[in-house]
Amino acid sequence: MVGRLLDSMTLGRKAQRLLTLIILLVLAACTSREVIVEGTFPTPLVDPVPVSVGVLFTQEFKEHELVDDATGRGEVSWRVSTGWAQVEFWSTLFPAFFQNVVFIESYEDLQAYDVDAVLIPQVADVQYAIPLYTNVKVYEIWMRYNLALVEPEQIVDAENAAISLENVQPFAEWPLTAYGKTPTAFMQSDIDAVNLAAVMALRDAGANFITSFLRVPGVMDWIENPEEAQ
Amino acid sequence: MKRALLSVLMLGGLLGGCVTANVDEMTFDAPVAGMVDGSIVILGRRHAPDYDTEPDFIDCIGNHISRGSESISVIQERQFVDALYPWFEPRTAPLSIESVGRLMMLPSVANKLEDLDLNYMIWIDGRTQDTNSSGSMTCGVGPTGAGCFGFGTWGTESEYEATIWNFDDGAEVGKMSALTSGQSYMPAVVVPIPIIAPVQDTACDSLGTQLLQYLSAGS
Repeated sequence: MVGRLLDSMTLGRKAQRLLTLIILLVLAACTSREVIVEGTFPTPLVDPVPVSVGVLFTQEFKEHELVDDATGRGEVSWRVSTGWAQVEFWSTLFPAFFQNVVFIESYEDLQAYDVDAVLIPQVADVQYAIPLYTNVKVYEIWMRYNLALVEPEQIVDAENAAISLENVQPFAEWPLTAYGKTPTAFMQSDIDAVNLAAVMALRDAGANFITSFLRVPGVMDWIENPEEAQ
Repeated sequence: MKRALLSVLMLGGLLGGCVTANVDEMTFDAPVAGMVDGSIVILGRRHAPDYDTEPDFIDCIGNHISRGSESISVIQERQFVDALYPWFEPRTAPLSIESVGRLMMLPSVANKLEDLDLNYMIWIDGRTQDTNSSGSMTCGVGPTGAGCFGFGTWGTESEYEATIWNFDDGAEVGKMSALTSGQSYMPAVVVPIPIIAPVQDTACDSLGTQLLQYLSAGS
């Protein structure tokens, strides 16, 4: 169809090819949006909690993305990859919030480091809203996490010399919600706005984590007695 | 052709000035002497569900004050919020000066605020939004070229309130507000010519001047 339209115009062969490419690119851009969330995150200003924590980012967490396929005419498919930003953000926050933090990558790490507990964050849900759907001039992102504190021994699979998260019984487990929004702005693309809203949501998640951590059932007992509370 | 363009530009200039500004000031405790070697921070309120106070408006007010007084050091909003993360996020930002007192009980926060030598914290709450719009415009593309024809107009309104907290006295010392509105126009004969009313800039100048007068009082 694009070819027929171009044939009807008095354009040179090169100009036709260029125009075809531009039209196809515009059409592709109209039907899907891909955001790889990026941002810079500040180190929190806190007095560290006096415990030694291992942090385990699961593969699912590291590669987390929200996929929303268009279902009707005029809708746009969205793919929002938050995994890189999640790891970057929490890797900045945890070492400032806890006195001693090690990132657990393997079974060998678990054996090598003596930590009081292992913290496992998981993204339970991410939702978004854009002005096209809500008629409100803000882009919004909601995130919901499940966090768990477990004894290091609980995730050791000695038989296979591996980390296993099956049948884990955390001594503290809690949900964490976060919200970020950014208003529409002149010359700002949907992609930039969603990225900014996601960065705001991550910052909000950190604020929520820092202000609520000590109120999580079981956490205060553990901090007062890290060796025995579990 | 040149004369027509000049006429359009003159009309644009005239219409661009169609902005009304209204500034209210309510001060409890006007400073008797201007600030000397102190610093202030201007922060936007971001906790409303349907709007954020625009960061560029906050920058504009800060620049206005910096240009107006060499003795006042204005800390950039982003720099301040990052340095004190997470205590000035929408979820955690203090809504009253008493809440800052509670925040100062955290040694790391108290030390950071002391390092910054902060005299005043100014909160700005508000937004600029388009109100009514009317007119119509048609644009077309053909083998011989493209063009638009029509006329559009829309109104814009800015409403901002500044609340001043004195850090030395630990008290809220004043409130100021600026309400501005204006009408923008876009005539199009082949090429659309936007004639934008500088509503937000006027609000920035109005509020910035009032804040500068307050902070420089007596100096």
